[in-house]
Amino acid sequence: MALREAPTALRRLARSTCTSCLRPSPSNRTYSSAAADDADLEPTSFTPPPRDASEFNPVGQSRARPKQLPASRYRFRSPKFYRGPLHPHQPPPPSDPSSRLFVPGPFSLPRLAQTYTSTIAPDMLAQTYTHVPLGQQRGPVGQRLRSWEGESPYFAGRPLRAPKGNAVLLPLHAPITFRNVPKIERVTVHTMASEAIKDSAYLHVAGMVVQAVTNVRAETHRARNSILQWGLKAGRYVSVTADLRGEDMHNFLAKVVEIVLPRIKEWRGLKGSSGDSTGNISFGIGAEGVALFPEVEVNYDMYPPKMIPGMHITVHTTAKNDKEARLLLSSIGLPFYGKLVN
Amino acid sequence: MKSFWSLNGLAGTWPACQIFPSRTLAVQLPISRFSTSATLQARKGKGGPKKDKRIVLIRYFLNHPRTPRPLRFSRLRALRHWAIHRAWNLYKAKQRDREERDLERMYNSMRLACEELRQIGENGMPGGKDEGRLYRVAMEKRNIWQGAPIEYARIQTDWPSKSGWNHEWKRG
Repeated sequence: MALREAPTALRRLARSTCTSCLRPSPSNRTYSSAAADDADLEPTSFTPPPRDASEFNPVGQSRARPKQLPASRYRFRSPKFYRGPLHPHQPPPPSDPSSRLFVPGPFSLPRLAQTYTSTIAPDMLAQTYTHVPLGQQRGPVGQRLRSWEGESPYFAGRPLRAPKGNAVLLPLHAPITFRNVPKIERVTVHTMASEAIKDSAYLHVAGMVVQAVTNVRAETHRARNSILQWGLKAGRYVSVTADLRGEDMHNFLAKVVEIVLPRIKEWRGLKGSSGDSTGNISFGIGAEGVALFPEVEVNYDMYPPKMIPGMHITVHTTAKNDKEARLLLSSIGLPFYGKLVN
Repeated sequence: MKSFWSLNGLAGTWPACQIFPSRTLAVQLPISRFSTSATLQARKGKGGPKKDKRIVLIRYFLNHPRTPRPLRFSRLRALRHWAIHRAWNLYKAKQRDREERDLERMYNSMRLACEELRQIGENGMPGGKDEGRLYRVAMEKRNIWQGAPIEYARIQTDWPSKSGWNHEWKRG
């Protein structure tokens, strides 16, 4: 730029000097070997790694280096808060290690998961097989939500009515095939400490016990309603839950089935009427049962004994009704007693 | 009348204190403790209830704020992680597919067997008097919904072996 603005005579002078220095002289032309090309290059710090593997010592190299290498130029930082889909700074997917939701793992294949794939799933498929003869079609699904019938003109725009005799629309049940063999989806561990209204230590101890037992960060919940008999006040933190999936879930269930439940005195099994009729089954363990968990047992002294809570455990399965969920749980090792209610 | 400089509240009624407040303070007054909570708790009916040390510890560890910051990999490490992650996902998908195909194979063979059973009558021949009797028996789900026996429900292990102790084993 400066040269362009300079007067023409000066510019001419500058051009003539530049071209003369850039133009290779006749004496230089005679040098045309590889060594001379290398000599032209700038000196570099890069040295090719040694050919022999025994000489390869990256740790020693980095120690011998007088100054540490700089970090690479750009490191992505995940935003601390999600600012909506239109914000230019978007968090990476949770599988990315720079994500704040990234959880390394899985580190093991739990025995319960292996048992399920190798034994339980094929056995359940064989047990529950229902044959549909060749050429026979399954009948059409009837009306699930009823339409409003009558004279009123307001019926036209109304949402459909709930099914007869039941305010809740239950999921459709399809026969079990190789695609929908019931499996355990997740497990929820829940603990309520209503004494936490007077002394928050109950809630903290319960949270610590749940965390120790499940290996998952516990969440706290407020009471929704005030119930005088139970000493509940709406809006106060009273309960703790942990939601388990995958590896944690299988490890927790195996622990419950193999270690805790067999050591509870006079334990009869899960109640046959348990279940929400959509394939999720709950059961409870008392405080003395929770003390039998190996994580609590090994340092039982670290918990105030009267503050160790009981637990509600809900097993969410992909079965669409309780009958099949019960079959799955009983083959995992949770027997049922009493009348089986579907 | 007590003046502000008399320091009656701290040192009590002590004549020397009122005469030379600054000099006597350094010499005579006991040094105040850094924390008074232990003393306050030791008094009866003051300083609140005594806290269980275990609860204090549990609260400390529950609220411990030191969460590791998100990992920040350099370019090559991030690439390596990405490649391993993709490979792992592929492996899992293939494994899932293999398991499902295995189940499908079993399902199809059960289906074919039931079709055969439907047509088998007396003496194992097609047609006849009792056609489809075996099929109807096979479709009965007797004692299935009672649940699996507890002997069945054992999570599989590598040990103990099925054959028990091998008494014949000799060091080779």
